[in-house]
Amino acid sequence: MKTYVALLDGGKREVTVGVTRLATGQYEVRVGDEVHRVDAYAHDYGTLSLLVDTRSYSAMLDDRGAKVHVQVDGSVFPLELLDERKLRMRRASPRASVEGRRAVTAPMPGRVVKVLVAPGDAVRAGQPLVVVEAMKMENEMRSPKDGKVVEVRVVEGQAVEGSALLCAVE
Amino acid sequence: MSPTRPIEKVLVANRGEIAVRVMRTCREMRIPTVAVYSEADRGALHVRKADEAVFIGPAPARESYLSIERILDACRRTGADAVHPGYGFLSENAELARALDRAGIALIGPPAAAMDAMGVKTTARRNMAAAGVPVVPGSEEPFAEEAEARAFAERIGFPVMIKAAAGGGGKGMKKCDRAEDFAALWQSARREATAAFGDDRLYLEKFLEKPRHVEIQVFADQHGNCVWLGERECSVQRRQQKVIEETPSVVLDDRLREAMGEVAVRAARAVGYVGAGTVELLVDAHRNFYFLEMNTRLQVEHPVTEMVTGLDLVRMQLEVARGEPILAQEQVQRRGHAIEARVYAEDPARGFLPQPGKITYLRVPGGPGIRDDSGVYAGWVVPQWYDPMISKLVAWAPTRPQAIDRLIRALGEYVVHGIGTNLGWLAAALDHPEFRSGDYDTGFCARNAKALVRPPDPSLERVALVAAAVAAFKRERDAAEAHAARAGQGAARSGWARAGRLRALRGGGR
Repeated sequence: MKTYVALLDGGKREVTVGVTRLATGQYEVRVGDEVHRVDAYAHDYGTLSLLVDTRSYSAMLDDRGAKVHVQVDGSVFPLELLDERKLRMRRASPRASVEGRRAVTAPMPGRVVKVLVAPGDAVRAGQPLVVVEAMKMENEMRSPKDGKVVEVRVVEGQAVEGSALLCAVE
Repeated sequence: MSPTRPIEKVLVANRGEIAVRVMRTCREMRIPTVAVYSEADRGALHVRKADEAVFIGPAPARESYLSIERILDACRRTGADAVHPGYGFLSENAELARALDRAGIALIGPPAAAMDAMGVKTTARRNMAAAGVPVVPGSEEPFAEEAEARAFAERIGFPVMIKAAAGGGGKGMKKCDRAEDFAALWQSARREATAAFGDDRLYLEKFLEKPRHVEIQVFADQHGNCVWLGERECSVQRRQQKVIEETPSVVLDDRLREAMGEVAVRAARAVGYVGAGTVELLVDAHRNFYFLEMNTRLQVEHPVTEMVTGLDLVRMQLEVARGEPILAQEQVQRRGHAIEARVYAEDPARGFLPQPGKITYLRVPGGPGIRDDSGVYAGWVVPQWYDPMISKLVAWAPTRPQAIDRLIRALGEYVVHGIGTNLGWLAAALDHPEFRSGDYDTGFCARNAKALVRPPDPSLERVALVAAAVAAFKRERDAAEAHAARAGQGAARSGWARAGRLRALRGGGR
């Protein structure tokens, strides 16, 4: 049995999941204390058809980011899946701090239409910093905290990719 | 009557689902089509669906889809003798109508004069009032004196809205319920107006309680005939943007429907209208109705009318443009109920943030009574430059409850991977008791914002964990097998053979 630890709710909850392969596509999966018989069929386009104790589900996995987003029947669950080795590494490293420098990134590809701050400006949590236009809508990127703008990476009119660094607040 | 003007080739001055929609009818009528595309749209579906396609410039719409000169040039290059503008972009642009006229190219739309008459709201209001069409009662001009304004308010009846003439963004706007409060609110609105716009002029409009947005589809030909094709209710709106439309509207009975239909026809006739148009009206809680504006184009929500009347409105537009007469009012028959939901590339959980990007997988619903008007396909990168609507899903059924259930069923079948959509939000809106009861209005989305963004179903968390763990397990096992295969005999093989071996392994079972 291979054992994983899933971190849920941003790491607040941990659930242990054990997987044992029985035959092609056939598994016994232990989630917490409960054991399920699972038949998994992977489609080319990234969807996993699951029969969990005969109940049928379609799960879609997006693991492009650090977190895995699993979507089942319209519900999305962001989680982190660690095996024993990764779990040990995670526990050995200090927890990421919410203090200090925080990056403000573009949540989607678009175009910068306004830069409202300059390095050195004092800002409050929730204050708009940069306005990015995508699909004919203007979206305000706001400060994640009270602090000072330490870096501005973009200028008005610039095209940005999704997750591009716009500015940083410390 | 014989056609007065043949149409040999139609240029569609638009993109996305509406361009594809127009091309479908042209194909059925065996009229060749020309697509136009910007730098962002070379790979777009409408380019593939057309018989010819012309590049018209950079991604920003004002340098491509909004350039009259480039559209005209594309007509000249391809010999297109008619232009269908779709909706949005140049569809209500009288300049385009005049430019095409000068070039001897037909516009599949109303004459420029009719667009002018309806284009500016205050002008339209005056024209309609003159034609005996009811408009929302209000003052045409700002008031010089508070006393004068108050007398006017008493004449049209409370509640009234006091509005800044220079207005916008809700500033300098006050709702006044009773005559006793008028003086205080008038002063307060005046202070706000001065502060916000440097202009203290105020005017009045009657406040409509729980207004519902009901519109009438009209059609007129070049021979003076004009018919109405029933109504559409468009009261599920988000930030003034329609999201769900249906016909028939539950607030209308046959008498009210006919009264509104006749008024809509009167409005169209008053401006010499030709082609497809929509008269938008507001219906208040007391079932009074008022002219709001006229859309001088085919609308996004036209499919619901097509579903209940069985008519093809694009075909009718082309026939009217050729000079053919339209059907008679008695020939218009309506049957059953249709609802349309607009599928947007956006994330309802994050303030409806737009979600441009690559669609990695797409499965479109089908089954009885379902129609999907879409402009996308799997593998297409939805560009960041244009409107986030990617598809319209329409359900028809004999009754309203059945149409609602059918549309919810179809939304559940819709699978879009790679970008976020509002599919779940739409299903929640349709399933909301307020929508199901039919007793909803334009405040529906704001009032139910929380309830419409559904939290994940906790009973599915276990399934998500199974999926993630099994996927990780399979990935590790596949990697180990591929590694073993490479170590065994990979070195002497070509890349193609190695890929074939891997594929066989993968297909052979994991």
